[in-house]
Amino acid sequence: MNAFLTIFKKELIDTLRDRRTIIAMIIIPLALFPVIFGIWTTIQKSMVKKAKEKTLQVAVISNDSETQKLIEIIIQKEKFKLIENVPEDSVRSFVQNDSLDGVFVFSKTFDKRVENLRAGRIKFYFKSSEGDNIEKDRMKDLVDKFEDSLLSARFEKLDLDKAISTAVKLVEVDITSKKERIGKAIGAILPYIFVIFCFMGSMYPAIDLAAGEKERGTIETLLTAPVSRFVILLGKFGVVVLTGISSALVSLVGLYLVVLQFGEIPPEIIDVISGIFEIKSIILLLSLLLPLTMFFAGVLLSLSMFAKSFKEAQSIITPFNFVIILPVLIGLIPGVTLDPKTALIPILNVSLATKEIVAGTIDFWLLIEVYASLAVLAGLSLFLSSRIFLRETVIFRG
Amino acid sequence: MIEVNDLRKQFKLTRQQKKELGRASKNGTVEAVAGITFTSKPGRVFSLLGPNGAGKTTALRILATMLKPTSGSVKICGFDVQEDPQEVRRRLGFLTGSTGLYDRLTPNELVKYYADLHGMDKKVFEKRLDEIYTRLDMHGFAKRRIGKLSTGMKQKVSITRTIIHDPEVIVFDEPTAGLDVISARSIIQLIRDFREQGKTVIFSTHIMGEVSLLSDDLAIIHKGKLCYNGSYKDFVDQMKTNSLEDEFIKLVEEA
Repeated sequence: MNAFLTIFKKELIDTLRDRRTIIAMIIIPLALFPVIFGIWTTIQKSMVKKAKEKTLQVAVISNDSETQKLIEIIIQKEKFKLIENVPEDSVRSFVQNDSLDGVFVFSKTFDKRVENLRAGRIKFYFKSSEGDNIEKDRMKDLVDKFEDSLLSARFEKLDLDKAISTAVKLVEVDITSKKERIGKAIGAILPYIFVIFCFMGSMYPAIDLAAGEKERGTIETLLTAPVSRFVILLGKFGVVVLTGISSALVSLVGLYLVVLQFGEIPPEIIDVISGIFEIKSIILLLSLLLPLTMFFAGVLLSLSMFAKSFKEAQSIITPFNFVIILPVLIGLIPGVTLDPKTALIPILNVSLATKEIVAGTIDFWLLIEVYASLAVLAGLSLFLSSRIFLRETVIFRG
Repeated sequence: MIEVNDLRKQFKLTRQQKKELGRASKNGTVEAVAGITFTSKPGRVFSLLGPNGAGKTTALRILATMLKPTSGSVKICGFDVQEDPQEVRRRLGFLTGSTGLYDRLTPNELVKYYADLHGMDKKVFEKRLDEIYTRLDMHGFAKRRIGKLSTGMKQKVSITRTIIHDPEVIVFDEPTAGLDVISARSIIQLIRDFREQGKTVIFSTHIMGEVSLLSDDLAIIHKGKLCYNGSYKDFVDQMKTNSLEDEFIKLVEEA
């Protein structure tokens, strides 16, 4: 035990003094979410503001008398400018080259149809955007008001109450709790954080403590110390697991900072995120993270041990970054849920179980199955790395 | 005391090595050490002389329990390297010219790490550390990161790490490789000191000058086999050529 602690302590000090590890383990996980959310929120806010504040240039093409009502609405409305005398055959090109933001073209039968209590047709030309289409909604709002005024006139003419136009009022009752609904949505993002940061946080220490030790030539002297090779491996393994878990936890802190830093997040989402930071959730998530990181640590140490140098280890391990993302992506597909089969598939089971934990709907026996599956894998990966560490052809390869 | 008896070590060849060696490879293996026998006694310096690739490092790695022999036996202070590797390691110090150090640690941290792995008592460690630091003039840089030290300073740290637990047997594998003349000379002096202290010292080299400066006993190894094994004095007395270098080349060519 003393030898294990001695090795663990030394490897931890050595690892924490490595800039690459600090960047991968603390700085990136901590800063990534605040930076991404920060940039995204700033851009989003400025785009929305721009779309709301912009004076929209609108044209109306019609010869009908009813059109005047719409023109009045446009003139009275703030941040709208009516452009007159637009030739009908140039509508598309004017909208295309942003000379106009929108054009309403009335059909020739508009007045007649409205008079006969039918729907008059208006063609609305606009350029859609990828986001919220705020500009389009602002222009559509003009037509809604226009329609409202026509309807009011129509009901008045017929001497009817406008309320009769509503025959059904649908009252939706969703039995899924808000926590469950939002939790599953947020829970879909969390596996990314856990799996990727667990892996990233473990990667550099594993490479440094195995391939790096071989490259520096320190492995020879370490092997002449009166300690079994398994204990040496265990010390390294412990540090790799610790850095992997720490990295995932630091990323959670980063996520929490996002909540604190960026307002305008709906209170239900804040409730769910705050729920993650409850002791029960943290213990459950940590208990999933521990065997997962042990699994990663065993695999990463084995691969790094096999490499002759830090660089070679990096080339071997980098493709695994993509391999681990695949099960996480599968977990995002709608309809893929935690069941006795998926609970056995590594990484995917963590991804699905995390979603359920955050939503508060985790099934106890399925969680036990996930633990058992991960524990077996963690044990196997430790066994594999110990076998590799005992092979002199691997240790002295090259 | 080191007792080596009919020591052999075979390595499996990689596909590439098999291709390169062709028929020369026996059953896909190569014999790096091919049945060597020698004894190294306390208070004497045993030199293992051989050209590059002769099997020196493999033999010394077996002595240091890093590699397992294919056959034969090695005993260090009466303990078999295969049966009691931990006991062997307790009594052994191992230093190579290419020994790496942990650049992010300080000499103090590094030496303490190895002392802890050897289970040294705190007071004994502190006393011994002070003795070595004083002797090697290391107090001035004991708290600086190793990565920032000069080659000579690093070599002193390596030496301290090797001898902190006061080993009975010290193995030097080409200890002066890559060192400047002054650093190399200090290693030579250190080996002499260990001999005076009654330690069993074995060192491998391909540099003739070091052999003549240090050796009490000598073994010449080539292609895994010993071409000579005896006292250095006897070797010099029976030389048929004018220099140690010529005699070494003659022996190697005849083997």
